[in-house]
Amino acid sequence: MSSPAETDPTTFLRPDLSVIVPFFNEEDSVAPLHAAIVQSLDPLPIVYEMVFVDDGSRDGTLARAEELARTDPRLRVIKFRRNYGQTPAMAAGIEHASGAILVTMDGDLQNDPADIPLFLAKIAEGYDIVVGWRHRRQDKLLSRKIPSKVANWLISRVTGVRITDNGCSLKAFRATLIKAIPLYSEMHRFIPAMAWMAGPRIAEIKVRHHARRFGHSKYGLSRIYKVLIDLMVIKTLASFTARPLLWFAMLSVPLLLFGLAAMVAGITPYFSASAHVSLPFVGSGLMFIAAALFVLAGGALGELIYRTGDIRHHSFAQLTMQSSGRGSRT
Amino acid sequence: MNQSQSGPMRISVIVPVGARQSEAELLYSEYQRPLVRRGATFEFIFVLDGPHPTFEAALERLAARGERFTVVTLTRSFGEATALMVGFEHAAGDLILTLPAYAQINAEEINPLLDKLGEADLVVSYRHPRRGSWAETLRRRMFHGLLGLVTHVRFNDLGCNARAMRRKVLEEIPLYGEQQRFLPVLADRQGFRVRELAVRQCAQDVRRDRTQSYARGILDIFNVFFLVRFTKKPLRFFGMIGVALCSLGALALLYLVFERLALDRSLADRPALMLASLFIVLGVQVFALGLLGELIIFAHAGGIKDYQVDRVIHFPAVASEPPPAHASHAARPVAVS
Repeated sequence: MSSPAETDPTTFLRPDLSVIVPFFNEEDSVAPLHAAIVQSLDPLPIVYEMVFVDDGSRDGTLARAEELARTDPRLRVIKFRRNYGQTPAMAAGIEHASGAILVTMDGDLQNDPADIPLFLAKIAEGYDIVVGWRHRRQDKLLSRKIPSKVANWLISRVTGVRITDNGCSLKAFRATLIKAIPLYSEMHRFIPAMAWMAGPRIAEIKVRHHARRFGHSKYGLSRIYKVLIDLMVIKTLASFTARPLLWFAMLSVPLLLFGLAAMVAGITPYFSASAHVSLPFVGSGLMFIAAALFVLAGGALGELIYRTGDIRHHSFAQLTMQSSGRGSRT
Repeated sequence: MNQSQSGPMRISVIVPVGARQSEAELLYSEYQRPLVRRGATFEFIFVLDGPHPTFEAALERLAARGERFTVVTLTRSFGEATALMVGFEHAAGDLILTLPAYAQINAEEINPLLDKLGEADLVVSYRHPRRGSWAETLRRRMFHGLLGLVTHVRFNDLGCNARAMRRKVLEEIPLYGEQQRFLPVLADRQGFRVRELAVRQCAQDVRRDRTQSYARGILDIFNVFFLVRFTKKPLRFFGMIGVALCSLGALALLYLVFERLALDRSLADRPALMLASLFIVLGVQVFALGLLGELIIFAHAGGIKDYQVDRVIHFPAVASEPPPAHASHAARPVAVS
């Protein structure tokens, strides 16, 4: 394979672009994907590298990737000690990538590397994050597309980041931004939502989506609970970093109102003819009021945790290209 | 994989000394014999977990005879795992061998244990055949079975402290208190290759079961459960409990309201109302705790890594190229929480 990197001295500099691909048991996809990436990026006047993350595959994925790395110095292969999941794989890829722009994509050939130049063009326009939208998605309707639609609707409602397709792995980021965002557990679908704390300019473009050629999907319906919970977490984190205490205060308000109402309902009969206090009402009221205070105290505790932690909201502010670009909220 | 050192591997033997101990001189000579026969370079590190005057005196006698070893004395008892970690700080070997301070296994099993490290990062011994009453056997079976259910990895004898491991295992897994029992579980989770090896039990190894052991076992299982399952995603766990409690309460409340409206049963004098409220309130509080847990994880996410990189494969274009900024990751495993 003749690669320009072997002769080009600029390889020693920071690459302009890193393409990050997590693989899990995708031995048939490694070589075709590598070829497709090379084919679509070689015509561009940029220096790029590829970071393939082998997420503890039990098939020949690693061997094939290593073979490719031998012939292509632009390829870096990260081998995990065991299977950790897609988000850790992306996080590792992001950590080991040195490009100024990072592109993530799936290793199952469902994303098309030919779309990458479009992403780069968008970034060049000044966007910090460009998200792919599989507008003609080639997946099963019932088990994949419908849950995904519901999840996306929920995510955009709750986080306020209007993205049609959060689940699409094909995304491009400015490296400084994405490297500052903590990625853990199964947060990769929330990257734009997390990044929102930094107030980036987010663009969305339609991408091609192919049906699976090899292997089989590693997802199932069981993710719904996880997505809902993660969404709750994102909401908490996002509102907390912006206005600590507010989120917990909002949680405690309904409790407080409910408690007060029960108290009133329990005590009013005392002043009427019967002079009888309803014990269950007053008891319930007290419980709800106590819970409201408990949640408020929890918020204060959260403030303490946040202050002692190492993530700072204001540190995000300098990450985006145009910090004045906050207006692009839609 | 990355064991390319020349010459014999150096072995550090760490012996945490707790309340259970046998005679130091005998122990030392027993443990030393197979290692000498092996021809390995080794060092002994005794960590006295709190003051143990008899053991210390015996060690001093050994030292006076010219035996060379390290003794670390802790001011008070910190637990076996802490003692182990303190010993590890003084260990220089590539291989770490932890041995109990009392006769638990036949010392001749040390060499097979070390041999098996060729195919593993951590070799855990289990006593087989195992003596003990049927009640003890039952308790042990239940404990390990339950633990297997929780962690999805099955071990036979976590109470056996004779273990051989590569240095990186203890470098990556911080232990404290009494967690040394769960080192195999944690190591497996971290992606290390963990193997078990049957060893002969020492004739003097007798232990009485007490009611405490049962309580300890259950607490231990909870401990591992949290360590393994929910340290990264607290809300998944707390949320589950919270939502369950809340919906239970809400259902009860709905039913009560339904009875009030449809059957005209007065709501004001029904204690069931308080029960329903209690469930809802409890659910909300547990949920809030889970959110706080998530906040903790997020706030410290900079120090948390979800994954372990085994190695980085990269063939730079030119040999004279300065090592890339990430080469350090290949040599040094990524730190983990």
